[in-house]
Amino acid sequence: MSFFDYVSANSEIIGFLLLQHLQVVLLAVGFATAISLGVAIGTERLPRVRAALLATSGTILTIPSFALFGLLIPVFGLGVAPTVLALTVYAIFPILRNTVTALETVDGAVIDAATGMGMGSGRRLRIVRLPLAWPVILNGIRVATIMVVAIAAIGAAVRGPGLGELIFRGLSRIGGANALNEALSGVVAIVVVALLLDVLFLLIGKLTTPRGLHV
Amino acid sequence: MSEQSTPGTGTRSDVMISLRDVSKRYSGADAEAVRPLSIDIERGEFLVLVGPSGCGKTTTLRMINRLVEPSGGEIWVDGKNATRVDADELRRHIGYVIQQVGLLPHMTIGENVGLVPKLLGWGKDRIRQRVTELLDLVGLDPDTYRSRYPKQLSGGQQQRVGVARALAADPPVMLMDEPFGAIDPITRGHLQDEFLKLQARIRKTIVFVTHDIDEALRLGDRIAIFDENARLAQLATPLEILTNPADDFVRSFIGDGAALRRLALLRVGDLPAVPGVGIRDGVEVEPDETVSAVLEKVLAAGSDSAVVRGRGSLTVQDMLLATAVRDESAVAT
Ligand SMILES: Nc1ncnc2c1ncn2[C@@H]1O[C@H](COP(=O)(O)OP(=O)(O)OP(=O)(O)O)[C@@H](O)[C@H]1O
Ligand SMILES: [Mg+2]
Repeated sequence: MSFFDYVSANSEIIGFLLLQHLQVVLLAVGFATAISLGVAIGTERLPRVRAALLATSGTILTIPSFALFGLLIPVFGLGVAPTVLALTVYAIFPILRNTVTALETVDGAVIDAATGMGMGSGRRLRIVRLPLAWPVILNGIRVATIMVVAIAAIGAAVRGPGLGELIFRGLSRIGGANALNEALSGVVAIVVVALLLDVLFLLIGKLTTPRGLHV
Repeated sequence: MSEQSTPGTGTRSDVMISLRDVSKRYSGADAEAVRPLSIDIERGEFLVLVGPSGCGKTTTLRMINRLVEPSGGEIWVDGKNATRVDADELRRHIGYVIQQVGLLPHMTIGENVGLVPKLLGWGKDRIRQRVTELLDLVGLDPDTYRSRYPKQLSGGQQQRVGVARALAADPPVMLMDEPFGAIDPITRGHLQDEFLKLQARIRKTIVFVTHDIDEALRLGDRIAIFDENARLAQLATPLEILTNPADDFVRSFIGDGAALRRLALLRVGDLPAVPGVGIRDGVEVEPDETVSAVLEKVLAAGSDSAVVRGRGSLTVQDMLLATAVRDESAVAT
């Protein structure tokens, strides 16, 4: 059976797993974004706490994903929860780092002018700093998403949802009928998901970047 | 008659901004950026702070709207201790033109100018109308510029938007930090004229920073000259500074040509004219024209005298000598 025959014969299951994969990734990135924005804004007057959290989230990235998923089993069992949790933890660093940098590097003169007009710190954040920082924050979210798409496949090791299932099952019975096709279909589908999301972010970026910034 | 002659009470209410021994030392710096400074600025007065780079002009300005907290002394604005009132509320009633312009790049020119009125809760139509009025005032066609973004404007145009933005909510006090710095000399002269006309009409209390002594002489009711050590070298009217420079620093800061500059400040109506109109013929001028403008007209017309309406006639020599005489008498006193 050729690869293409395999894919068309199994399109339903592949499509189902692809959607699942997408959902898990978006869920994790959504959580990570909320957490990162919260941490970045909440620690504006606590530079040490901020530096510590940033360093911690960076360190977490160095833990091999296979190990992290495994370590979460005793606490969260198998399935969706440990997968989403692990992916969230991985996604935080790129988003948090970009958010912190972007908020810190907004032109001082612009903030000065806003303060001088009588905007309090809340208004400054909402009306001035977040809109100006947004393109860089969004880029952090995009990087985190692409990264997490790949890592999500490992989630299958803890019976997590998504395309990892195809890869793991295929590899575990390599030599068997269509084993290679099965694993390969998982890999290709992951690449497709990554490309889809990249296009999605390009679109979001176009639509949400304040016009005045790219005239 | 209950004539109460409590000295000070009358003038006190006319003081809009009062700096009382205000000083600033930035943390980590070993010299004071602003040395203890006391100035009373009257309601409607145009005060110019002038001096070399780093003498503390911006710092002084920013202490008035509390963007910089003073290390010592007190600042009173409109009868209230500025350090005791809500900073944001204070700032909404003080127009501030910052040295680096600082337009919000993600908002249109119209949105930038309308920002403070919006913060103050004005209605949409009123804001729109005000934006139109202000863009006109600073010489930017509202239809062309309202919906542009700051990046689409030249540096000088951005500065003018900065001025319009500071004027937006019609604040009684304006702090202006080198607002015409990035504008070419011709447009700058034009804007200075416009601004003087505007000021004659709206009488705001203005504290204006520049390092250009000519701009200071042209605009200020009074000028505060600082030296590079942040010392207040002289606080006086332009004419007084040109006539009686307090020390060598002021003298060198004014540079050469003090006598000629004075001609640009004196008005022909202030000179003793020879009565008897019609005895000589000459160029007809108004009493409130400056001596230098009149000299220019007279010489350009190939004449040697001017007829000042309602006063009499003045020869070129009268005009030059009159200023010289003032000089001597001023030095003598
Ligand atoms: N935020 C700051 N922290 C530390 N030092 C500062 C700060 N701002 C200004 N200074 C110092 O205080 C002094 C006065 O600065 P200021 O900006 O008030 O000068 P200025 O007269 O406005 O100069 P310029 O004409 O160059 O704008 C300078 O020596 C400057 O280096
Ligand atoms: Mg300055």
